Amino acid sequence: MREKFKVALAQISCKQGDKAENIRKIEDLVIKAKQQSAELVIFPELSLTGYTVRDQIYELAETIPGPSTSVLEKLARKTGTYIVFGMPELSEKTQATIYNAAVLIGPDGLVGKYRKMYLPTHSVFEEKRYFRPGYQTAVFETELGKTGLIICYDIFFPEVSRLTRLKGAQLIVCISASPAVRRTFFETLTTARAMENTTFLAYVNLVGIEDGLQFWGGSRLIGPNGKVLVKAKYDEEDLVIGEVNYADIRPVETFVPTLKDLRPELFDKLKENAEKL
Amino acid sequence: MELTPSVLDLDWSDVKTKIRRFIKDYVKASGAEGIVSGLSGGLDSSTTAALSALAIGGDKVLGLLLPEQETYNVEDIEHVKLVAEKFRFKTEIVDITPTLKAFYNSISIFEPTDKICKGNIKARTRIIYIYYYANRRNLLVCGSSDKSETMMGYFTKWGDVAADISPVMDLYKTQVRKLAQHIGIPKEIVTKPASPALWPGQLAEEELGIKYETLDLILYGLEHFMKTGEIAQQLGIEEELVDKIKRRWLFMEHKRRMPLTTKIQYRTVGADFRLPHVLY
Repeated sequence: MREKFKVALAQISCKQGDKAENIRKIEDLVIKAKQQSAELVIFPELSLTGYTVRDQIYELAETIPGPSTSVLEKLARKTGTYIVFGMPELSEKTQATIYNAAVLIGPDGLVGKYRKMYLPTHSVFEEKRYFRPGYQTAVFETELGKTGLIICYDIFFPEVSRLTRLKGAQLIVCISASPAVRRTFFETLTTARAMENTTFLAYVNLVGIEDGLQFWGGSRLIGPNGKVLVKAKYDEEDLVIGEVNYADIRPVETFVPTLKDLRPELFDKLKENAEKL
Repeated sequence: MELTPSVLDLDWSDVKTKIRRFIKDYVKASGAEGIVSGLSGGLDSSTTAALSALAIGGDKVLGLLLPEQETYNVEDIEHVKLVAEKFRFKTEIVDITPTLKAFYNSISIFEPTDKICKGNIKARTRIIYIYYYANRRNLLVCGSSDKSETMMGYFTKWGDVAADISPVMDLYKTQVRKLAQHIGIPKEIVTKPASPALWPGQLAEEELGIKYETLDLILYGLEHFMKTGEIAQQLGIEEELVDKIKRRWLFMEHKRRMPLTTKIQYRTVGADFRLPHVLY
């Protein structure tokens, strides 16, 4: 396993509903990122289709594995990179049950997927109308260490990142499609999740305008001490490369020992009280 | 939440950037060659045309002046010229009086004393001209309705509100005023009392029965789910007035939507056909 590696935050805008065009953009950026020695390239939430596709989601969703993941598997194999991207996943057992998924692909093929647990359905968001929520956190053992996947609104719920960390993730990848009005939340919460879990956190947000919604970008790689190691531009497409060095976790975990100090009995109380809310 | 005028303050530079980006992106995505807007010489249309020019270049923006005899005001025309010169967009002027007269004469039930029905003919006639230019020259129609008017339904249904995009529709009137100041709209336009100019002497605040400074705070409170009693208390006004504004806002929803139909089939336009606004 690699202790130290470069990660590329590929902050793109998507063409709504045009998978072929979005795959072309993903291919271009993976190649560019590889030229800059990146071993992991991360794209935003629903980057295969664009975020705002509404009822077209039923035509666009695919199984995992499926046609689009197989194209990107070839790309990962050819370039020897790991790729994370977002797509609507059609359940293999049904004809119209869809998940908002993050996919991790590596040089040896499909590594795994994560199904978004917290689906925002308020304000401009209508995810529960279209998606079934996931029920499991996702952590995958790769050449790049244990990598966890979460998606956008999940970051508002510390238990998702905490569970992902407790399963061993040293790098949490959060892919996102966050419109500009939510920027303050994400800038605060991404740092908080990295710090409270003493972990690396790579946040990759969409840019561009979809149905009047302007996505703010601002993708970032955050270290376990909360330091923003690298940050992409606001509002514009960008590709930035940062370095993950797992050796940086130890000193933080030693003197900010949030994992050591965890109180499991509180989780039972949390459950008890959440049910009564 | 404290309902003070400062709640309406925004980062005007950021708002300007967002609106410019929105206009530019949409014009590009639509494949249109530019924008056409109806210009009255008032705050909203001047600001929208100026923002359009800043977004895509004044050579791609056409401001249409559509005056008519009854409400003709040379100062309004001068104001349009001022903004057009400053932001370097094109203008054309078409006197719509003959068309209006033809309408009045051909409608058997036409009643000249009914100001509202007659005024609506003017607003709808103007939009016919604007869309004609848009269609002939492959332009997008850029509307200039603000959030205060839109929430109050203070516009002509399928008239002045008709457009392909409405870049300032999420800004209250007093916010448009601040944005206008920020981008350099001349002071005489920024401070001019708002009027739809559908009949001589028509003033928005008189007709709405409230100053925009108060109206915008009431609407802001309603937008943020505040109760009418709380809004009234904070603003030191009668709850009855806030209730009246709230009822008007809710009652006017029919003016902001696709026409209502009754659901008969599987998927219905305006109800559960939920499609993205994709132009590509």
